Amino acid sequence: MSATNAFPQISARRRRTDKVMRASLLAATIVALIPLILIIYYLIHKGLSAWTQSGFFTTDPTGSFFGSPGGIRSAILGSLEIVALATLISIPIGIGVALYLTEYGKQSWFANTVRYFVDVMTGVPSIMFGLFIYIVLVIGRFGGSGFAGWKGAVALALLMLPIVIRSSEVVLLLVPSSLREAALALGAPRWRVVFQVVLPTSATGLLTGSLLAIARGMGETAPLLFTVSTAFALTYDLNAQMNTMPFLIYTDITSPRAAIQTIAWGTALTLVVIVLILNLVARLIASRSRMA
Amino acid sequence: MIPPDTTSKEQSDMSTAGGLPPERPQAPPQASKAAAADKTGHAVNVKDLNAYYGAQHAIKGVTIDFPANEVTALIGPSGSGKSTVVRCINRMHEEIPGARAEGSVTLDELDIYDPNVDVTAVRRLIGMVFQKPNPFPTMSIFDNVAAGLRLTGTRSKDLKDLVHRSLQSVGLWDEVKDRLSEPGIGLSGGQQQRLCIARTVAVEPEVILMDEPASALDPISTLKIEELIDELKERYTIVIVTHNMQQAARVANSTVFMLEGEVIEHDETNKIFTNPSDERTERYVTGKFG
Amino acid sequence: MQETRHQFHEQLRQLEAQALDGLDLVIQQLDRSLESISYQDVELAGMVVADDDRIDGRYLEVHQGILSLLARQAPVAGDLRIVAALLHVIRCVERMGDQCVNIAKLVPLSGYEAPKDKDILDAIERMGRLARSQVSQAKQAFAGRNVELAQDLVRQDMEINRLNREIFRRAVEVGDNLDLREWAMFMILVARCLERVGDNTVDIAEQTVFVVTGLFREFADASSPPEAATAP
Repeated sequence: MSATNAFPQISARRRRTDKVMRASLLAATIVALIPLILIIYYLIHKGLSAWTQSGFFTTDPTGSFFGSPGGIRSAILGSLEIVALATLISIPIGIGVALYLTEYGKQSWFANTVRYFVDVMTGVPSIMFGLFIYIVLVIGRFGGSGFAGWKGAVALALLMLPIVIRSSEVVLLLVPSSLREAALALGAPRWRVVFQVVLPTSATGLLTGSLLAIARGMGETAPLLFTVSTAFALTYDLNAQMNTMPFLIYTDITSPRAAIQTIAWGTALTLVVIVLILNLVARLIASRSRMA
Repeated sequence: MIPPDTTSKEQSDMSTAGGLPPERPQAPPQASKAAAADKTGHAVNVKDLNAYYGAQHAIKGVTIDFPANEVTALIGPSGSGKSTVVRCINRMHEEIPGARAEGSVTLDELDIYDPNVDVTAVRRLIGMVFQKPNPFPTMSIFDNVAAGLRLTGTRSKDLKDLVHRSLQSVGLWDEVKDRLSEPGIGLSGGQQQRLCIARTVAVEPEVILMDEPASALDPISTLKIEELIDELKERYTIVIVTHNMQQAARVANSTVFMLEGEVIEHDETNKIFTNPSDERTERYVTGKFG
Repeated sequence: MQETRHQFHEQLRQLEAQALDGLDLVIQQLDRSLESISYQDVELAGMVVADDDRIDGRYLEVHQGILSLLARQAPVAGDLRIVAALLHVIRCVERMGDQCVNIAKLVPLSGYEAPKDKDILDAIERMGRLARSQVSQAKQAFAGRNVELAQDLVRQDMEINRLNREIFRRAVEVGDNLDLREWAMFMILVARCLERVGDNTVDIAEQTVFVVTGLFREFADASSPPEAATAP
């Protein structure tokens, strides 16, 4: 050991640089967090007062400018119906496509082309799906109606489909090929390998991916604009115009009447809470399956 | 009277004459069994097998006979094609994109590459155990053993009994009988591999192929698996690929040495490890290369 | 690049050298014991007896080396045959050493100024030279893995056996002199020891063939004519 210290000391300049780096990264984080916090604050601040109104969740909007604006029951149920139908369409088809890509198509040129187009679709602005359905189904009054709930569901399904396909494919690829090999070596036909080994093994991952796609679908506004339009009364007829939460926010937030604006904020808060719950459930399932 | 000449043997206390038994190689153990229950034995015969990965010619005109109820080991350096040969026997080779095989592989004189043959039927009769134990993670121990039947759509009336017998035949029953409903992946490595063997055995195959079954396991588990192989050969014909020569020496009746896709020597294990005929076999086995 | 298992093969080479050098020790002992017989040199005979410790030590060394190699290196095929053969060879070395000691022990017993029969002594000396050359040839054959040289040892051994029988006959007819007869008896014993040395060299020859061909064939008992032994 020498007379001076055994290890070289950190220089003062290095110390300063470290500090500057840490400070600026922290600043960036705060800048990113501020709008998020503000959104949450505003939502709660403005929306909570709507929540506490009587009949907010149990009555339909009255549609009248004067008098009581009513509640948002038809919007909530309308959103749920439409998203449910969209889920029924997009999830099975999406998982099916993902299965095709991982189990059968693999690296063929066709499969790679499909993958490319799916990637493109994830980037398409959501309004395009609405416009597409508008031109194909709404204008021609397909099914005997103009705007209809089910047509909005189709638009949402188109939007959710690439998300489901992508996340499902990732999960399916995580299934070790040794499991497929083991099943094949036992003499299983390929379809049984898929349904009795691959799907059960990836089930939680597929579920998580689907929940996230549903959460996305709940909040989309643009596709609904040209396909479902709106209604005030509660209806279960998917072949007619229906009320949806995003649409309600869209129309009510610009109203000159404060009470109606409050309704919009309350709806926004409801929507955020629903999406939050879906996300939390997805995370819970994912973490529990990891711990098992 | 002139006393007889002595040889050094007479002065030694030991009675051993030293050295190997006379030149004639040992009679194959088959000979005694052949007369007896040959109907329980199933032989695999590979003839002029050529296998390709795309343009790469991996197996070149390989001919090997795997006698019934015997353990045959395939040894050789990496890339010699031993795993490929084995995967051609249960037609798993063709699952790899771009891979194909030509030639004749017969099970009891029946050609398994016949275009009318159902591949899944072949694989039910020729089971496979892999290097890394791969029990199905979403299934319990019981379900894992029964998986083979469920995956082939076979209905079995006494499933519990079959699972019990399979687990017993691999020596796992006592260790797991109280936790059959627990997940299969909760077992240790050696136990998992025996579980996979039980799963293979439950579909009642005629041949069992093993691709380096013990190389991922600790030494004690390895020895247990080797003992198991010795018991299993009473009922199945076994082919084992191993890069551990001592294992081949311990376990196999006959050994095949492969190099660069060709069979160099195929003989009784005893001969391969005491007096191989081919110079290359000698060099590989004594560790001069590979 | 070094060949794989370089250390192991190096150890094997050393072990073989140790065992074969034991044969040099045997030749030394043989020379001295025969000299002590010819000149009735009791001191020399005493040295031979004492020096047998060296051969015994060599035996233990090689034996231990073989055990160690078997335990740690798991030799197979050609290497295994060499190790097994070395076990035989070193035992032969030890036995040959013991025969030299037996010869040396006979020296003081046969008397200081005992009468000697010239024919018998000549035969003994010839046997001694033959035995010596056989030991040397055995070492050469094993070290060079020379099958022909090994098989030639059988032919030489026949000569030793013939000399042994001749000495016996001469001893029986040696006459009435008590001291001479006694001396002749001892010479019979010496001849027997030398014959056994010859047999041990034939053993080493058999081991040589075993290492090369992997087959063990006993070269015919020297009392019956050898088969036309061709390497398989």
